[in-house]
Amino acid sequence: MGISFVRVYKANCNRLFLDNMDNENLVKDVVKEPYKYGFVTDIETEKIAKGLNESIIRLISQKKEEPKFLLDFRLKAFKKWKKMDEPDWAGLGYKKIDYQNIIYYSAPKQKEKISSLNEVDPKLLETFDKLGIPLTEQKKLTNVAVDAVFDSVSIATTFREELAGHGVIFCSISEAVKNHPDLIEKYLGTVVPASDNYFAALNSAVFSDGSFVYIPKGVTCPMDLSSYFRINSGDSGQFERTLIIAEESSSVSYLEGCTAPMFDTNTLHAAVVELIALDDASIKYSTVQNWYAGDEEGVGGIFNFVTKRGKCLGKRSKISWSQVETGSAITWKYPSCLLLGEESVGEFYSVALTNNLQQADTGTKMIHIGPKTKSTIVSKGISAGNSINSYRGLVKMGTKAAGSRNYSQCDSMLIGDQASANTFPYIKSKQPNSEIEHEASTCRISEDQLFYLQSRGIEFEEAVSMMVSGFCRDVFNQLPMEFAAEADKLLALKLEGSVG
Amino acid sequence: MKESDPLLEVENLFASTNNLPILKGVSLTVYPGEIHAIMGRNGCGKSTFSKIIAGHPSYNITNGEIKFLGENINSSEPEERAQSGIFLGFQYPIEIPGVSNLEFLRVSTNARRKFLNKEELDTFDFEELVKEKLELVKMDHAFLSRSVNQGFSGGEKKRNEILQMALLEPKIAILDETDSGLDIDALRIVASGIKKISNGQTGIILITHYQRLLDEIEPNYVHVMADGQIIKTGGSDLALELEKKGYEWTDNFLKETN
Amino acid sequence: MNIIEKIKTNKLIDDQTEIQKICLHKLQSSPLPNPKSELWRLSNKSKFSNFLDYSINEKDSKFDMPYPKNSHSTIRLIIGENFKIKLTEKNYSIEQLSEDELNKYIKEQISCFDQNENWSDLLNLSLSCAKNILGLKINGSKIPPIEIFSHASSNSLNAKTLVIFLEKNCEIKLLQVNLGKENSSLSQSTFFCLEENSSLNHGVVSYGENRSNLLNSLNVIQQKNSEYNLGSLHFKFNYARFEISIKQSVGNAKTNIKGMQITKSDEQISTYTKIDFNGPNGFLDQINKSLADDKSHAIFEGSIIVPKSAQKTDASQLSRNLLLSNLAQIDTKPQLEIIADDVKCKHGATISQLNEEELFYMRTRGITLAEASKLQLSSYFQEIISFIPVSKDRWDLLDTVLNQN
Repeated sequence: MGISFVRVYKANCNRLFLDNMDNENLVKDVVKEPYKYGFVTDIETEKIAKGLNESIIRLISQKKEEPKFLLDFRLKAFKKWKKMDEPDWAGLGYKKIDYQNIIYYSAPKQKEKISSLNEVDPKLLETFDKLGIPLTEQKKLTNVAVDAVFDSVSIATTFREELAGHGVIFCSISEAVKNHPDLIEKYLGTVVPASDNYFAALNSAVFSDGSFVYIPKGVTCPMDLSSYFRINSGDSGQFERTLIIAEESSSVSYLEGCTAPMFDTNTLHAAVVELIALDDASIKYSTVQNWYAGDEEGVGGIFNFVTKRGKCLGKRSKISWSQVETGSAITWKYPSCLLLGEESVGEFYSVALTNNLQQADTGTKMIHIGPKTKSTIVSKGISAGNSINSYRGLVKMGTKAAGSRNYSQCDSMLIGDQASANTFPYIKSKQPNSEIEHEASTCRISEDQLFYLQSRGIEFEEAVSMMVSGFCRDVFNQLPMEFAAEADKLLALKLEGSVG
Repeated sequence: MKESDPLLEVENLFASTNNLPILKGVSLTVYPGEIHAIMGRNGCGKSTFSKIIAGHPSYNITNGEIKFLGENINSSEPEERAQSGIFLGFQYPIEIPGVSNLEFLRVSTNARRKFLNKEELDTFDFEELVKEKLELVKMDHAFLSRSVNQGFSGGEKKRNEILQMALLEPKIAILDETDSGLDIDALRIVASGIKKISNGQTGIILITHYQRLLDEIEPNYVHVMADGQIIKTGGSDLALELEKKGYEWTDNFLKETN
Repeated sequence: MNIIEKIKTNKLIDDQTEIQKICLHKLQSSPLPNPKSELWRLSNKSKFSNFLDYSINEKDSKFDMPYPKNSHSTIRLIIGENFKIKLTEKNYSIEQLSEDELNKYIKEQISCFDQNENWSDLLNLSLSCAKNILGLKINGSKIPPIEIFSHASSNSLNAKTLVIFLEKNCEIKLLQVNLGKENSSLSQSTFFCLEENSSLNHGVVSYGENRSNLLNSLNVIQQKNSEYNLGSLHFKFNYARFEISIKQSVGNAKTNIKGMQITKSDEQISTYTKIDFNGPNGFLDQINKSLADDKSHAIFEGSIIVPKSAQKTDASQLSRNLLLSNLAQIDTKPQLEIIADDVKCKHGATISQLNEEELFYMRTRGITLAEASKLQLSSYFQEIISFIPVSKDRWDLLDTVLNQN
């Protein structure tokens, strides 16, 4: 018959899961793995007053010594935000956020201008050391340049000179505003307009810091770039903004990591990430998100409401998102690609793991606008405990997207009988000469598979974790090496106890 | 043999797909009853050549012409070519789930018969005809009730191709790697089927890169193709020589000429 | 939207039945569905409004049957025609529900209606007069096939309601045909209640003429060990919605659905299905096909809900779509909501055009492009049409569908 068939469904869910394990009642025997990044750094910080109004925005802008265009950008966004309603369509149950009870600017007190890492407060260096991100010359990671963001500000960026030698700009966005205002003015808000959604508007009004990357024409970035976000204070929101521009025929791989201390209140994290790829450029953006998720009762944890979007502006450009989402009380995030350039490529590889009372509503939007554009979506959701894990995605073929293709695969794995997994793929096509294929499945870990592993002497928990990481293999393969190993460990850690 | 008019004349044919040139000046003439073999490495353009003769819409002829029975068919539709007697045996016959094999064979046979001003066959007469032809390729009647090629083994698909050839009685048959994926018994069945159908009158182009089909059906001419061109033409002994020397010399040949 | 104004001011119907009163009352507070909800957001506003533009018709005009009657072996019923049905044979009985039974059942249904989800039913029951509600109770075995016709007369809005109780161990084949005359709107609501061990092979064929509209709502409740098979075909409507809600009330039941919608010119046809597994061991196999040509718009939204109690559910849902023109549009959203963990659920969707390689293959065998496309389309349709029971020998649906193409 004339249309491509949905291929054989991948997960061959046999008779499933651990009936015989119920007796051992291991599910309740949850090993409470502490969140090991939950410490608070005791450091003197400069905070502004709680609340949000025009003068707060002017104050933030003034503190950052911003040019007028940026202040205007913020004020315009704020105006729009005031007129918008907080979205509720994702059906995420959470208490109303009091936006007047949040501190919108918080920075560790340090000298006005830091000329070298040696001047960074040792407490901060120690903090990042503890997080496994050493920043000092002697200890810094050799193959990755890191921009470390602490609450509202970037405190250090490593390997700057080396990168500058290649023409690569990697700095905090505040510095970029000062040193490269033309680039900021040209690109900021062009991928995620301030009016895009409630949280993007909020971010546009109050964003404090974040990373800026510019890869010039023809340059393959000599090392991976990485930002590490740390929320430290309990009452301030984090609103970082990332902008990555890859000029013609350039390429870059960017990694993002994040942690936060344990507080019993919810902290809002509303970031915006914008990527722009010109002709033949490629951007790979990887995230391992491990914000504090709250405790088993669902108290505390980060509300992670993030807008990430890439624009494949140029011909044959490519943007690839890969993410491992394990933290946050609530995640609401759809890294997306606007495929404008002819033959441009968008990819989304995601593992989202939820446990206890976590909620994750994540997925992607692939908007095919130009001809012969291609997108691939691979999403793996694992829900354990009482958590809710939803894939929500949109694939859209515009009228000019002739010869375009999309392939999506969404698999869910349920662990325990209290967790839920939802799949909401929206598919929209206005172009007959294009192909869209979506498949999804839900399964448990097969008892037979487990038995087979156990009969070879593998411990139960290890077997489960092997199966889970096998389930996620397609996605892990897309992660940069160091991240893949970390992601694997992270999953094992998060799942520990929840299965048996 | 050459007293009669040529069936197929391909003159200096250039063709491309997505602006990528594939054929770079191929010339070949086939007279009734002649058997030609085209050999060459994967990707040399053999399969493309066969698809272009059959009129695949993905390829553009950028130069040269194809004449069938003296007429230029460069822009004929694939079905016109088939109805007038050009047959392509596919390397990978397409599976068409839901379309019954019997119905498919009947519609196509009647399309050809209509072209030949022969009476179209109704279901009963057609079944009679198919039964007879099934014998040629030693296929079971049960194949007819299945969907076109769906769930057929590699060998069954190839036999289904030859069955179609038997029904359509083409003037020229281009058989693209009809031998691949066949065991030796199946190969013999297919080869003897081809010989019986052609009956010394059909022009045949065998596309292959192995000698073994040519052991069963001896070609009058062997052409070696590389990089979209026929770089050497000889008799059946050329195939044997190729088998011995491998295709490396074709690479060297190209290097020398470029 | 002349109807809505009248609902608001309660001037729509003079002698209201109890059911009409309840439904009208419910509608008065919010007479229109929420245009932002998933069920309605893609619905063409002006077409929907056109649906409500006609005034209510209570007098049916005669209409031509699309295919001949087979007097011996089928029972043919036309909703709206005055009749009393009481067929008692040796093996079976088909009886009209009494007014009490009917009212009781409908009221029960209304009590669990959601204003938005069941808006079409609320409208239907507000408009349907007693004559246009057919309620049947079917019992026994070896029951002859049943055909039930609903039709809308030109230049009017027509509401027809069908309620069927299928008693224990009973097995029937039923074809429902909805016909829309030129410039008409038909609101058809159907309620099936399948008792234990019963089985229903249900066909729904809806087709319209110029500028006809349809709101077709189907509600099925399945008891233990019942089997419900649905083959449906919707085509030639200016605007049509087919809303299916199936509830396996204690699980342990089987549901097979094969649906198809064909849109041409600027038509919009949509299918919404909601399958609720309310207990363990439920089975669902669903395929929905759309074919959109010209400037038309086809929509499919399917949701499968598997709560915690529905362990060992085995559900699959496939949405296959053919987009035949540059101006046509297809939206599809097969979705799963799962809490139970020991389940096999999968869904898939494809949107594409006719396969070029297959077309080429057939053309190399001398079959013309038009014929090859037709062969492909007929195999695409055949899977669905062969699943529609009752009229096979008398009504060549495949031919009807292909020739309107």
